Amino acid sequence: MYWALIKKLTLREIKARYKQSFLGFFWIVLNPFFQMVIMSFVFSKILKMGNLGVPYPLFIYAGLLPWLFMVNSLQSAMNVFVSDASLIKKIYFPREILVLSTLLAKTFDFFLSFLIFILMMIFFKVAFSPFILFFFLIFLIEFLFVYSLALILSSFNLYYRDVQYLFNLIITLWFYVTPVIYAVEFFPEKYRIVFQLNPMAVFINAYRQVLLGGDFPKWSSLSIGVLLSLILFFVAKKIFSKLEKNFADVV
Amino acid sequence: MDNDNIAIYFKNVSKSYPLLYQKTIKEFFQALFTRKKTIEKVEALKNINLSIKKGETVGVIGKNGAGKSTLLKLIAGVSYPTSGKVNVYGRVVPLIELGAGFHPELSGKENIFLNGVILGMEEKYLVEKFSEIVAFSEIPMDFIFTPVKYYSSGMFMRLAFSVAVFSKPEILLVDEILAVGDVGFQKKCLDKMNGFKKQKVTIVFVSHSMEQVKNFCDKVIYLKEGRVEYEGEVEEGIRRYLKNNF
Repeated sequence: MYWALIKKLTLREIKARYKQSFLGFFWIVLNPFFQMVIMSFVFSKILKMGNLGVPYPLFIYAGLLPWLFMVNSLQSAMNVFVSDASLIKKIYFPREILVLSTLLAKTFDFFLSFLIFILMMIFFKVAFSPFILFFFLIFLIEFLFVYSLALILSSFNLYYRDVQYLFNLIITLWFYVTPVIYAVEFFPEKYRIVFQLNPMAVFINAYRQVLLGGDFPKWSSLSIGVLLSLILFFVAKKIFSKLEKNFADVV
Repeated sequence: MDNDNIAIYFKNVSKSYPLLYQKTIKEFFQALFTRKKTIEKVEALKNINLSIKKGETVGVIGKNGAGKSTLLKLIAGVSYPTSGKVNVYGRVVPLIELGAGFHPELSGKENIFLNGVILGMEEKYLVEKFSEIVAFSEIPMDFIFTPVKYYSSGMFMRLAFSVAVFSKPEILLVDEILAVGDVGFQKKCLDKMNGFKKQKVTIVFVSHSMEQVKNFCDKVIYLKEGRVEYEGEVEEGIRRYLKNNF
C-alpha cells in the first residue's frame, strides 16, 4: 500500500540529485569509472601488483562498485531523517520508507555503473558465463546487509550527529581490510579470517568469483555473510522500531 | 462507547518531552562534577481527556506553549503519548507546515505528484485532478515545469495548499494557515474549508484569530498550560480565553 510513496521518494532521490549540473546523470557513472581508472593506473603501472589472471581494471571495478554502493547508501541514509525533518514532524508513514527509498536510488546508480562493467568485459574480451546470474543473489544479500546498517545509523544519527563523523573515520579503516584494490590471495592463509568476518569482503570476493572467475561463489563464506546480515537485520529492526516513535520529538 | 460517531478520542493523555541537557560531552562532564540534573522534562500535555465527533469542526485555542501543536502531532500520529491512549478513526490530512515534502530542485508538477502521494492520494487520482489543482493554485502553466525554488514564497504556499485540499481527508488538521496568499486566494481557501465542513469532514482548527474560530467552529477546546481548561460552546470558550489573557 505504500509502494506509490516508495516509488515517488526514490524518483525524487534520483531526479533531484544532479539537477543544475551540465553533465547530470553522467556523474553517476563517471565518478566510479574515474576512480577505477586512477586505481588501476596506480596499482598496475606504478606499483606493479602481481598477476591476477584477469585485467586489473575489471578486478578493481568489480570490488569498487559494491563498495561504493555501501558507502554512498549509508552516507545518504544517515542524513535522510535530518533533511526530511519537516516531513517527519508533519505526517505519518512508516519511517523506514525514507531509508528504503534512499537505498533504492543508490541501487539504480549501482546498476547503471554496472552497465559500464559489462561493456568493459566485452572490451577486455572476458568470457561471459552463466554464473554471472548469481550477481543478483549476491546483491540481494549485500542490500540486506547495507539496509540493516542504514536503519541503525540513520536512527542513531538523529540523536547524536557524532555518528556521521565517526562513520567517515570507520569507513577509511574498513576500506583497508576490504579487498577492493587488492586480492585476498595476497595475504597468508592465517590472516584471511579477517576477510571471512567482514561481510563486505565476503560479498566482493563472491562478486569476483561469479563475474570474473566463471565459478560458483564460495558457499561457505557466503553463508557466513548471509547469517551475519540476517542477524544484523533483526537487531536493526528492533532498534529502529523502538527509536522511530521518538523521531518527531528529537529531530 | 459508541465508536461509530467518534473521530478522535483521548484518554488520560500526557506528553512530556525530555530536555537533553547533556547534549555534548562538555556539558556531560560539567554535569558530572556539579551533580546537576542532566535530564529535565517538559510536560506539554497533562492528563487530557476529550472526544471529537465525526463531522465536527473544533477550534483549539490557547496561548503559545499551551500544547496546541503537541495535540495536533498526537492526532497526526507522528508523535506518541508518554502515557494514556489516543484513538483516531479516519484518514488524517495535516494542513500544517505546508510544502513539507516539496523538493526545491523538482518542478511544480513533480512536486504536486510527490506531495500528493505523501498525503495518501493515488497517482491515478492525481493525474485526473492535475489541471484542477494547478487551476486552483493560480500558478501560470509555464511555471509548473520550473523548479519550485524559483517560485515566489506566495506561489510556493499556494501550490502546497492546493495539493493538500485536493486530498480526500476524513480528518483535517489546520494550523494557522488561512493566511496563505492574497485576499482573493484566502477567500478561496475559506470556501474550500466550508466545503469540507459541508461534506462532514472532521476538522481540528488551531488559530489565534478568534474571529475565524467564531465564524467557523461548532465547538472549542481551550488549552491552558497543557490542560483542557474548557471544552464546549464556542462563545463561552473564547470569552474565558480572552478574560484570562487581558
